[in-house]
Amino acid sequence: MGTDRWAYQSRLRRVDPLPKLILSLTALVVCLCCGSGAVGLATAAAMGVLITALGGLPPRVYLHFLKIPMAFLAVGCATMLVHSYPAGTPVLAALPVGGRLWGFDGAALAAAAALFFRALGAVGAMYFLALNTPVTDLTMCLGRLHVPRLLVELMELIYRFIFVLSETAGSIRTAQASRLGYQGLRRSLSSLGTMASLVFLRAWRRADRIYAALESRGYAGSLTTLPGDYAPGRGLYPLALAVAAGQLAVLFAERGVLG
Amino acid sequence: MNPAIETRELCYTYEDGTAALDHVSLKAERGRITGILGANGAGKSTLFLNLNGVLTPQSGEVLLDGAPVRRDRKGLAELRRRVGIVFQDPDDQLFSADVYRDISFGAVNLGLPEAEVRRRVEAAMERTGVAHLRDKPTHALSFGQKKRAAIAGVLVMEPEVLILDEPTAGLDPQGVSGLLALLEQLRDGLNMAILLATHDMDLVPLCCDDAYLLGGGRVLAAGTPEELFRQPGLLRENHLRLPRIAHLMDILHDKDGLDAGPAATIGAARREILRLLKEEER
Repeated sequence: MGTDRWAYQSRLRRVDPLPKLILSLTALVVCLCCGSGAVGLATAAAMGVLITALGGLPPRVYLHFLKIPMAFLAVGCATMLVHSYPAGTPVLAALPVGGRLWGFDGAALAAAAALFFRALGAVGAMYFLALNTPVTDLTMCLGRLHVPRLLVELMELIYRFIFVLSETAGSIRTAQASRLGYQGLRRSLSSLGTMASLVFLRAWRRADRIYAALESRGYAGSLTTLPGDYAPGRGLYPLALAVAAGQLAVLFAERGVLG
Repeated sequence: MNPAIETRELCYTYEDGTAALDHVSLKAERGRITGILGANGAGKSTLFLNLNGVLTPQSGEVLLDGAPVRRDRKGLAELRRRVGIVFQDPDDQLFSADVYRDISFGAVNLGLPEAEVRRRVEAAMERTGVAHLRDKPTHALSFGQKKRAAIAGVLVMEPEVLILDEPTAGLDPQGVSGLLALLEQLRDGLNMAILLATHDMDLVPLCCDDAYLLGGGRVLAAGTPEELFRQPGLLRENHLRLPRIAHLMDILHDKDGLDAGPAATIGAARREILRLLKEEER
């Protein structure tokens, strides 16, 4: 949970999650709708500035997080980039295979680059949310937006108990490894299977105890809680507008330059 | 004055036929810490779930402040407000990844106005010393911190009776001292009735004012801790033992023929030994 750890340290941590969500979504939607690489690049840059300036994230960390989806983007864009052309077509780079040219021309390169930067911009917009908002605040906010309560409560419980379960799994694994349970493929697979079934059983028993604990605190069908005090963060609304305006300005500038 | 909580002839049998509680009658007074001693499987946890209405006894009754508890929806809600349980494993109790929100849960369930919920959450965090953890996710807390957060989540309901199941299990020695100080503060400051299950015998003379010995689902002995320590045979039969200090004083008395009286804490033993030394001088 790399992003969550930074979200708890963000200076925007105590800001109401709703404006953060809205800023992220506006930037995301505008970036996707413009369909332009320049806008995507501008969005990623703008989000980087906001995350580092407002949230206090070190720029190095933001760049690191941007690198993570790079591999997916590169693979996805490569398939957009490469086409097959009839022999004799003017191309930028290509290999002749069986009488046809496999490679790309200027238009394909432009299209692939646009897609790549658009996706990068979208990722940047989502990072503004993920790097400034802990998951619990986000689910709380979804509840306020009338997402069904059952769904929200499930998300919250799953998020909480991922850590408990992974701790359980980790300690079982250590116990197995300390008795040579992971030497060789056969033994590893058998140990892994035992661990999975044990984790399941323990989760099952724990569920009973959690239910008893909830009941003893007056649980009556809903996990309603009160969040800590939020700063209103109304300043983020005009900021969201400004970002959208900037994105559109980049779009028009690009159209103007290209004629 | 009526005891804060009392059980009369409480019986509880699990679905598979094991009798977990067999005519248990006990009481816990306000402003006192009552220890429930017993080995694993003696019925401590079942007793506590009965006291708080999570389990319903087959026969017998639970009385709060002298009045029998009704088992309808309103009666149960009332019971859960007035009797809070802190479970042994805080990971079973903390269901939210946000410390503040988890603590607020019980108070929200009472239907209190927001300002009152916030006041209680702040007060509970202050009392248990977890106020500085409010910005941390639950999974980043240490075991001792989780325990304190779990206690805060119960205190927020402002119960009259606080039940703790093996509260010191898994805590380091300083964590144990901190917890004892907190319990004493709750007992003396808020005049709470505190029930705690333990098989850590060295803890008993330090914090318990009264004690019950539970075995096989029955109350085998009751009294002050000192009275229970006079029956070392009974304790041993139930997989318990005397506190180390009490054992030492016992040996000094029985094997070494010293005229040492019983003492279970360091302070009491020190007084006793000094008294013996002074007599020797004379």
